[in-house]
Amino acid sequence: MSIFLDRDTRVLIQGMTGNEGSFWAQHMIELGTQVIAGVTPGKEGELIHDRPIYHSVRRAVRNHDVDAAILFVPPRFTRDAVLEAIDSGIRKIVTIADGIPLHEMVEIRASAKAAGAMVVGGNTSGVISPGEAMMGMFPYWIERVYAPGKIGIMTRSGSLTNEVTAMVVRAGFGVSTLVGVGGDPVPGTRFAEMLPLYEADKKTEALVIIGELGGSMEEEVAVAMQSGICTKPVVAFLGGRTAPKGKRMGHAGAIVSGGKGTVEGKIKALEAAGGRVAGRPSEVGELLRALLEEREA
Amino acid sequence: MKLFEYQAKEVFVQAGIAVPKALLADSVESVAAAAESIGYPCMLKSQMLMGGRGNKGLIPRVSSQAQARSEAQRLFRGEYSIKKILVEEAVDIQQELYLSVTVDPLAAEGVVICSAEGGVEIEQLAVENPEKILTEPFDMVRGLQSFQVKDLSYRLMPSTEATKQIQKVITALYQIFTSYDAELAEINPLFITASGQVIAGDGKLMIDENSMHRQKRFERTRDYYESDMEFEAAQAGIPYLQFDGDISLMCAGAGLTTTVYDLINYEGGSIANYLEFGGPNYRKAYEAMELCLRNDSKVILVVTFGTIARADVMAEGIVDAALRLKADRPIVTCIRGTGEQEAAQTLKAAGFEPMFDTEEAVRKAVALAKGAGRP
Repeated sequence: MSIFLDRDTRVLIQGMTGNEGSFWAQHMIELGTQVIAGVTPGKEGELIHDRPIYHSVRRAVRNHDVDAAILFVPPRFTRDAVLEAIDSGIRKIVTIADGIPLHEMVEIRASAKAAGAMVVGGNTSGVISPGEAMMGMFPYWIERVYAPGKIGIMTRSGSLTNEVTAMVVRAGFGVSTLVGVGGDPVPGTRFAEMLPLYEADKKTEALVIIGELGGSMEEEVAVAMQSGICTKPVVAFLGGRTAPKGKRMGHAGAIVSGGKGTVEGKIKALEAAGGRVAGRPSEVGELLRALLEEREA
Repeated sequence: MKLFEYQAKEVFVQAGIAVPKALLADSVESVAAAAESIGYPCMLKSQMLMGGRGNKGLIPRVSSQAQARSEAQRLFRGEYSIKKILVEEAVDIQQELYLSVTVDPLAAEGVVICSAEGGVEIEQLAVENPEKILTEPFDMVRGLQSFQVKDLSYRLMPSTEATKQIQKVITALYQIFTSYDAELAEINPLFITASGQVIAGDGKLMIDENSMHRQKRFERTRDYYESDMEFEAAQAGIPYLQFDGDISLMCAGAGLTTTVYDLINYEGGSIANYLEFGGPNYRKAYEAMELCLRNDSKVILVVTFGTIARADVMAEGIVDAALRLKADRPIVTCIRGTGEQEAAQTLKAAGFEPMFDTEEAVRKAVALAKGAGRP
C-alpha cells in the first residue's frame, strides 16, 4: 500500500522528450511505474522508451486511460501545462519545476482546488513509493535511502530529504510514500492536505515531516493532529533553528517575517499536539521508535 | 527583489498615488541643494533595504542647510554605507494608515490588508489588536473588484473626502501588485494630511524572484547586496550569504545547507559564509571554492546529498579546484548521493578523507576550526 501512487497508477509525462523528462522517465519505468505515454507539442508519433508521444494531453487521454501526470516543463510554461492536465480530467499532477512565478502558482492552486485536483510541487523532487513507483527524481538505487517500509515522509526540501530519509532507514525503518510538497512559498498541496491520505493508508504507521523555517505548514499539521485528522505518530525535523531573522536562507519560502514562521513556534505547536521534533537528523529514528513503542504499550 | 523606497515611490507616482515632494541625492552637496529646494523642515531618508530605519536614526528631520549638511555627512559616512538619500518635505500629518496588497499562501488568493492605525508598530498591533487589521481577500484570476475596494474603505473609516482618495490608492496599489508580479506592495504609513490629502509616506515593493524574467525594469546593481562577495557570487549565479565566523560552507541544497548551518552552531562553531553549491551550480566547484577561499575562514566544509547534482562530478570539481587554487586550509568532504562510490574514490586518490555522515563531518570541521588555526 501507499498513497498518491502505486504500481497500478497510469502515469502521463508532460515534457517527456526533453533531457530531464526522458532521463527520469527511464528511471520511473525501471522502478516499476506504469508510464503510459508522453506529451510534447510537435513530437506526436515519436516513441520514447517505447511509449508513444502526443502533441497534447487531450490527444493522449483520447487514446489512454491516465490517472496522473508529471510535468518536466520549464517554470514559465508550467501554468499552461497544469491547466491543460486539469482540463483533460487528470486529478493528480506533479510539477517539478523550480522557479514558477508566484502569481501563477496561486492561480494553479486555485484552479486545482476548484476542479478537485491535487497538484504536488513545484520546486520538488516529486513523489515516490519505494519498491513500487515514482513520479519524480529520486536516487532510489541508493538502498540505504529509499527502502520500502511503513513510514510516510513529507518534505519541503530535496537534498535534506535524502539526508533525513537515510537516517530513518538506518534506524531500521523504511518508507511507504514520500511526498515532496516543494520549497516554494505557495505549494500546490500543503502538508496538512496530504494527511487524510496517510491517515487512510494502512501501511503507513507513522509520519516524518521534514520542514524548515518560514510559512505555516508545520503549524497546520499540528492543528490537524489536534483535531483528529491525523492520529498517527508524527516526528519532525526542522531546518533553520539558528537562522538569522530576516535573511532569506535557501528556499524562497524559508524566511521569518513579522515574527511568524520561526522554528521555535513550529516546535511548540507540534509538541503541544503530541508530535516529537528531532534536534538533529540522526535523532529522527530513535524518536520514531519511541513513539511507535508508546503506541503499542 | 526588494526595491528601494525611492524606486517604489516612482512606481507609485506612475500609478497615480501621491507622494510627498522629494528629491534624490547622492552627496552632501546635492542633499544641501535638495533641502534648499524642498524647504524646511524636511526629512533626510536614507535609502537602504534593511527595515527599521527610523529607529536606527537614519531618517533625521532637519530645519536648516547647516543641519542638512551635518546629518548628510553622518549618514553617508556611517556604518550602513548609504549611497543615496531621499530628501523629502515634512508632511503635516493628521492620521497614519497602513495599506498593503500581498499573497495569502494558505488560502491561495490575493489579499488587501489595511488598518486605520499605521506606522512602525503595525506588527505589534497585529498581535495585540488583530481586530484593527482589516483584510479583503480576492481571487487572483478574477482580480480585485470595485465593490470590494469600496466596502473595505468604508470598513476602514467613515465616508469623508479622504475615503474616495483611499479607494483610488487601493485600486492603484492592486494594479501595481499585479503588473509588477509583486510579493508585497506596501504603503506604511499612508498619510492623511491636515488638508485631507492622502499621500504615501513610505513605499515597499518586493518583486517575485521567479518573475524577474518579465520584470526587467530594475537592474540588480551592487547597491542591492550587503557585501561585495554577495554581489560577485550573485553575478556568478551562486546564492551566497556573508557571515564572519570560521567555517566556509559549501553545501548543495537549500534545506541541507540550512541544516548544516544549524549543526555547526550546535557544535559551538561559527560560519564564515553560506554558499549554495547544489542545483545548477554543482559544476561550479572552482568558482564556489574561490569565493570560500577569499573568506578569512579556517576550514571549508563540503556537504552534499544530491540526486541530479552528481557526487562524482562534485568530487572531481573539488579536487581540481583545491589543486588549482592552492587551497591553504583543510577541506572536509561529505559528498553523497548519485555517484557517491566514484566520488569517494576520487577524493581518496587525491588525499582527501571522504566522509558519509553529516554530523561527523560537522564535528570534524568545528574541531579543525577551533584547534589547529591556520596550517
